[in-house]
Amino acid sequence: MADPVPIAMGQGSSCWGCFQSLVDIHLRLADVLPALDIKYWQAVADFKLHHLESYGDKSIVVGLYEGMARTEEDIHLLKLMREKCQIMIAFGSCSCFGGIPGLANQYDIEECYDVKFRENKTVKGGKVPSENLPGIASVVKPNTDYIDFDIFLPGCPPTSDLIFTAVSALLSGQPIDLPPHAVCHYCNREKKETPVEKILRPYEGIADPDRCLLEQGYICVGSSTWGLCEGQCVNKGATCRGCFGPTPPITQDHGAASISMLGSYAPLETEEIRQQVKDPLGTFWRVDYPTSHLGRMRIRREEAKEK
Amino acid sequence: MTTAQTKTKAQADWEPRIVAFCCNWCSYAGADLAGTSRIQYPTNARIIRVNCTGRIDAEFILSALDKGADGVLVSGCHPGDCHYTSGNLKLRARWAFMEEAVKQAGIDPRRIRLQWASASEAQIFADGVAKLIEQVREVGPIGRSWK
Repeated sequence: MADPVPIAMGQGSSCWGCFQSLVDIHLRLADVLPALDIKYWQAVADFKLHHLESYGDKSIVVGLYEGMARTEEDIHLLKLMREKCQIMIAFGSCSCFGGIPGLANQYDIEECYDVKFRENKTVKGGKVPSENLPGIASVVKPNTDYIDFDIFLPGCPPTSDLIFTAVSALLSGQPIDLPPHAVCHYCNREKKETPVEKILRPYEGIADPDRCLLEQGYICVGSSTWGLCEGQCVNKGATCRGCFGPTPPITQDHGAASISMLGSYAPLETEEIRQQVKDPLGTFWRVDYPTSHLGRMRIRREEAKEK
Repeated sequence: MTTAQTKTKAQADWEPRIVAFCCNWCSYAGADLAGTSRIQYPTNARIIRVNCTGRIDAEFILSALDKGADGVLVSGCHPGDCHYTSGNLKLRARWAFMEEAVKQAGIDPRRIRLQWASASEAQIFADGVAKLIEQVREVGPIGRSWK
């Protein structure tokens, strides 16, 4: 067997679910782990930041970065990873697009502090903590604003199969060839191409298990979402929430594409749509608000406030 | 110092820049009629002709704002009058989804306007452009807060 490949895995602000998904490749770990020389992985081993700092530049072959970068520590780690690693992988939707934590950009930093610390429902007279903590950026900027990535592996989380395929290809020196299909490609439900008669909230009615959920009125953004998940949710009976982001090229505005698709599928009255879709930003830009047009405008606005 | 001065000058001279998407069959003809009828209306709108408002992707509108347009006007046939039977209904639904998201993202909804103007309604078209420009003037340049 060839020499183990040096690899570093870093986490920013995230739920660490992507690395959980990596560990979930389960018995196949026995094939993958001996081929890896883990240089840094806070989640499972006692590495400190100074260990990573002590390695030579570009001495690590592969770097996986999970999560977005909101604290100064995250931003430092992200840039450090880029210095030390030859191939940087944006691992998971937070790392590719800003993810769910990116939805915080709907509010400015003071409003976020209010909800989290000052007016928190479980705390009285809360204060924003300041001691022994890294500073926090006023706005979530996508990781791609800080560094360049070589590979994007979206997903919330990327599925274990996807990780296995990508890691094995990488270790054997093959290009990572990902199918470009949308979620609908993998969905086994019957599609009759009929327009939506009424938009339903997820708790309303009982869905036909065999028919397209969107045609039944449940908002499903599968047709504009990259189907690397192979349609897990839709085949189990839940609508697609778009966690893999837009289909390639992934620089597209995912939410705008979903809205355009829905407009064609559900040409309903304005009032009806307003009543049934309570949170369009969270529905259509769930994982990619910071990289969308709306998100870009918001980031520029918040940055201008600082100057 | 020099930059500060140029900035002030640029803001004093600021004129709203509007992107107007007009459908070929109604509003573009309406805009044409407004011209031939010599109806006076502000010159800030840059008209882009699309075959049908149903062709307008939400991304066109959001991308225009992102790239620095101060406002976006979409003008199409009245509901029921679409040359392609239902294109404008599709745009209307997209608009409903998008308008709320624009508000949530902190963009002033007065920057965008959807109107229906048929080929004979030159005055309605011109009034719509004037109305949007008036709204955008109230809100100010889109880049002012971040330049």
